[in-house]
This record gives sequence, C-alpha cells and structure tokens, in this order.
Amino acid sequence: MTTRTRYFVIVSLLVLGVGMGTGLVAYYVGFPAGAQGHRGGPAELGYVPRDASVIAFANVHEIMTSELRQKLRRALPMQENGQQELQNQTGINIETDIDTVVGCLNPDPGSTNTPGAGMVLARGRFDEVKIESLMREHGAHVEDYNGKRVIAADTKDVADVVHGQAGSFALSFIEPGLAAIGSTKLIKSAIDLHKAGNNPQAGLESVTGNDELMNLVRSVDNANAWAVGRFDALRTQSHLPANVLSQIPAITWFVVSGHVNGGVRGTLRAEARDDESANNLRDVVRGFLALAKLGSGAKPELQAMMQSLEVSGSGKTVSLSFAVPAEVFDMIGAVVNKGKPALP
Amino acid sequence: MSDPGRSAAATPGVLPSAVRIFDLSLGQMLWSRRSVFLGVLLGGPVLMAIALRIVDTLHASGFKVNGAAIGGSAIFGMMVWLLFIRFIVPVLGVFYGTSLIADEVDDKTITYLFTRPIPRRSVLLGKYLAYLACTVLLVLPSVMLVFFLIVPIGGGGIGEAFPSLLADLGMLAVGLASYGAVFALVGTMLKRPLVVGLVFAFGWEPAVLLFPGYLKRLTVAYYMQALVTHEMPQDSAISMLLQVFHEVPSVTTSLLCLATTVALTLWLAGRAVERREYVLEQ
Repeated sequence: MTTRTRYFVIVSLLVLGVGMGTGLVAYYVGFPAGAQGHRGGPAELGYVPRDASVIAFANVHEIMTSELRQKLRRALPMQENGQQELQNQTGINIETDIDTVVGCLNPDPGSTNTPGAGMVLARGRFDEVKIESLMREHGAHVEDYNGKRVIAADTKDVADVVHGQAGSFALSFIEPGLAAIGSTKLIKSAIDLHKAGNNPQAGLESVTGNDELMNLVRSVDNANAWAVGRFDALRTQSHLPANVLSQIPAITWFVVSGHVNGGVRGTLRAEARDDESANNLRDVVRGFLALAKLGSGAKPELQAMMQSLEVSGSGKTVSLSFAVPAEVFDMIGAVVNKGKPALP
Repeated sequence: MSDPGRSAAATPGVLPSAVRIFDLSLGQMLWSRRSVFLGVLLGGPVLMAIALRIVDTLHASGFKVNGAAIGGSAIFGMMVWLLFIRFIVPVLGVFYGTSLIADEVDDKTITYLFTRPIPRRSVLLGKYLAYLACTVLLVLPSVMLVFFLIVPIGGGGIGEAFPSLLADLGMLAVGLASYGAVFALVGTMLKRPLVVGLVFAFGWEPAVLLFPGYLKRLTVAYYMQALVTHEMPQDSAISMLLQVFHEVPSVTTSLLCLATTVALTLWLAGRAVERREYVLEQ
C-alpha cells in the first residue's frame, strides 16, 4: 500500500470515527442539534405537537431572581405555606429548582375540555423518585411508553389537581431535568417527538414546523415570559353563547410578552381577521386608554405607567405596549402595608 | 525435474493471495481516472448538503414541501433514497464491479496476474475486496458528512436520528457488496459488461419493481428496500406506483438473500475466471 493510499484510508476512517463518536455522544448524552437557535424559542418546543393552539413560556429562574421579585417579596411578604408544602411533598423548590417552563394547549376534539388538552414542560432539577412515589400514593400507575416511564393517573384522582378538567393526566421525565406534565396523549406525543424527531411524512411533527406560530415566537424571543396562540381556536372551543361570541373582536392570533426585571415591560399584540376589524379594535383600545389616562391624572405615581401605554400596529395588527416601573410596585406595597399593624 | 507435491505446497492459498491482490489493487483503484468520477459523484451530495445548510441558515422559515415544513431527518431520508440507494450505489457497483477483470483484459495486463503462482479466483476476490474497501471508505464518510449537515435543519436532533444513520451505513455497505458481487459476475462472463450492467441497474430493476409478482425477487433493490429505515419519497409518478406495489420482505430475509447473492455470484465469478480463456486483442 502506497503512502497516499494509507493517508486516504486514515482520513476516511477518521471521518467515520469522529462521526460515530459524535453521534454516540449525542445519542447517550443528548446534546441539542444546534438548529433551535435561529428557529426561535426554547428547545422544548421540539416536543410540543404541531397543532398547538396556544404555547407559553416563562423563564422562571430569571423571574424569581429578578429585582422586581425581590422587591415584591419585601413589599408584600406573602404566606408561602403552599410553596413549602409543594417542596415537602415533591422536593421541588419553585424558587431555585425550576429554570424554565413551556406550556401548550392543543385541540382535543374527543373530549369536553373547554380549552383542549394541556401540557407543561418544566426544565430544572427534580427528585424523580420522590415525585413518582407521591403520584403512586395518589393512585397513579406507571407504564412504559417508547422506552420512557409514564406515570399516569386516573382522571377522578387528579380532577382537583387539574382544576376539575376531565381527561387523563400523566407525568414523564422525557430527558434528565425535563419533566412533562399534562394530558397523557400529549405526553406520549412529546415522547415520540423526543425519540424520533420531526418526521412529517410519518405524521409526527412538532410546533417548530408550524411557521405561523413560530414567526410569532421569534418576535417575542427576547422576553422572559410570553404566550402566543390562535384566538379563534380558543373561541370556537369556549362553548360560549352565540350572542357573547359575536361581541368578541374578530382576532385570529394573539401574542402576550413581558420582560420582568426591575419592573415589567410588555406587549399585547393581536392579529385581526381583516384590516377593518383591526381598525375597530384599535379604536376601542384607544378609547379605553383615554379613559384610563384621564382617571390616573390625580395619581402622579401611576402617570409614568399610563404614559407608557401605547397603541400601535398597522394593517391587521393591533399592538399595545406598556411598562410598569418599579415605583408602582413600591406604591402598591406601601398601600398594602399601611393597613397592617406594625410588627413588634 | 520439479516435484509436483513440493510445487503445490509452495502455492499460497486463495485468501493470502487475495490479500496480496487487494493490497496491490486498492491503490490502483483509488488513484485511477475513475476516481475523479467517484469524487464528483460523492462530493455532489456533500456540496448539496452544504448549500441546503447555508440556505437554511439564511432563510429562517425553513424548507417546505407542498406548503408543509420539512425537517432535517426527512430531507436526509430523501437524500439517502434518491441519491444513494437509487443512484450512487448501483452506479458504483456497475462501474467498479464490471471493471474488476475487464480493465485488466482491456489493458492487456491480465497475463501478469494469471501467470503468478496464485489461484485465479484469488485475483477476482482480491479485486472485489479492494472495490469494497474503496467504495465503502468513500461512500460512508460522504453519508456521515451529509447527515451532520442536514439533520440539524429544522430542529432535528442528531442523537435521535443516530440509530437510523447506523442502519443506513450498514445498508449502504451491504448494497455496495451486493451490487459489486453481481456486477463482478457480469464483468467476468460477458463481453460488454458495462452496457449490460447499466441496463440491469437502471432498466430491469426499476421496471420490475413497478409490477406485482415474483420477478422483483430477482433484483438487489427489492431486498435493499427492506433495510431502509426512511420513508420512500413520493417524488414522482414512478415513486407513487412503487408505493402502491410496495411489498417488502423482512430484514432477516433480505439480509439472508443478499448474503446468498454475494456468496453465489462471487463463487460463480471465481469459477468463470478459473475456466474462461481470456483472449487478448492484438
């Protein structure tokens, strides 16, 4: 074998070896593909089925450690028994153990659930054994689905947990540090998406393949809490009387985003069905804003917030942006604490 | 006078001789004019993958087929089907397999090999092994590069798709081995092996697969299909017809049939080389 043939064989085997090694590491450790960055939104969206009507995200860690949160804790020292109880039972400290949360609502034609089936994907540090045993104590059973443990509970047992909604409920740790809680059907879809990835030909696709929704997600990517969804899908599932439905503006999409740090900065955006509906909606919002600004004239501390309210948008888009400065929360805290007796 | 027993003992066996021929042929095969063609053939998918990746990076809304977004895994699956299974593997089999002995005959160098004190079939076996090493070492890295460039498109996970890549690599290696063996037999038995090989790979195989019946069992593609983990793309009317008559044997059956094909065709080719008298044109 000549030297250049030997070099060729070595280079070829090297490419194969490096590829195999990288693939094996990706398979066992599960590092992200790296394409989520420009797709927008968190990586967990890859586990949300494509037909989601609403998706929401919160960077819990950022919000919990924000100046605003610390200020609110000082100004409004609330009872934290519920939080403590949750920690005792599940080992989850909301303040420190949860990093991000992604939620979704998907249409569920087969059930009577008003908003559809829901799922929450929480990333953080969880005591899997403790959570599983807690759910077992409450009548849940463990089943194996596509190589993952799914802790499913009977509807009756968890009806109070999910606010009285009917439908099956399950929990699964899709990957280390990622818990999926919600409708069993959605949990199983998330496991399928985790296992096989996007495969539209096989009818398996995540919301990252839903361009309309992902365009909206990209527009709010810098916020640490947001929700986007199809307003019309929610409206059709709301089972409201026809005369009430006719009064609701003809909105197709909505976007709510907020950035919590020292204060709260946010935007509410709606996409109307047509230009005329959007104009009508803008007029209504402007009217309400004018009233609110008139009312706040006597309270200078609220004026900064009121001045920040701004209606904008063109074509079918109606947008309302706002900024709530930290002083407003100081004021609320002062008002609340005024009525309380001083601590000894 | 030479002792016939001593002479027989000095003749190396088929395998050691094949290894010597393999060592000699691998370099010749890699650095021949045919390798330029091979480089273009295998560089094409990699360049295509790079272009797709650049387009994906610049165009944030991703790729769509009939209005539906398509993920990297699906694109990779399509490339494996359309480029590698339907084109590159049969083409490499035809061009290299048919030339294993035919090239030596055309170059009038077969005499040098056949006058060596080695079994004639070891020449074919060594050259076949060199073909296999050459094509496997070129095709598999090309597929590997395409995989890493394409699969992350649309948020696809490399980890999730990795098992299917292993299956693809195995399937392609088996395909190269099978097509190579079949066309090695064609190359040793027929006078114009390239034409016959091309007609078999791009005429007989696709045509027979379109129709119901048992004839498709006389193709390599029929057994290859069972080893592919990706969905067959519906890119043309022919593909649609193929889907209609999609009858796939089990993986075990396919592997057994392909192994039998390789063993049988190589044995027949070896037998033909042993018995055939090659007349070199002056």
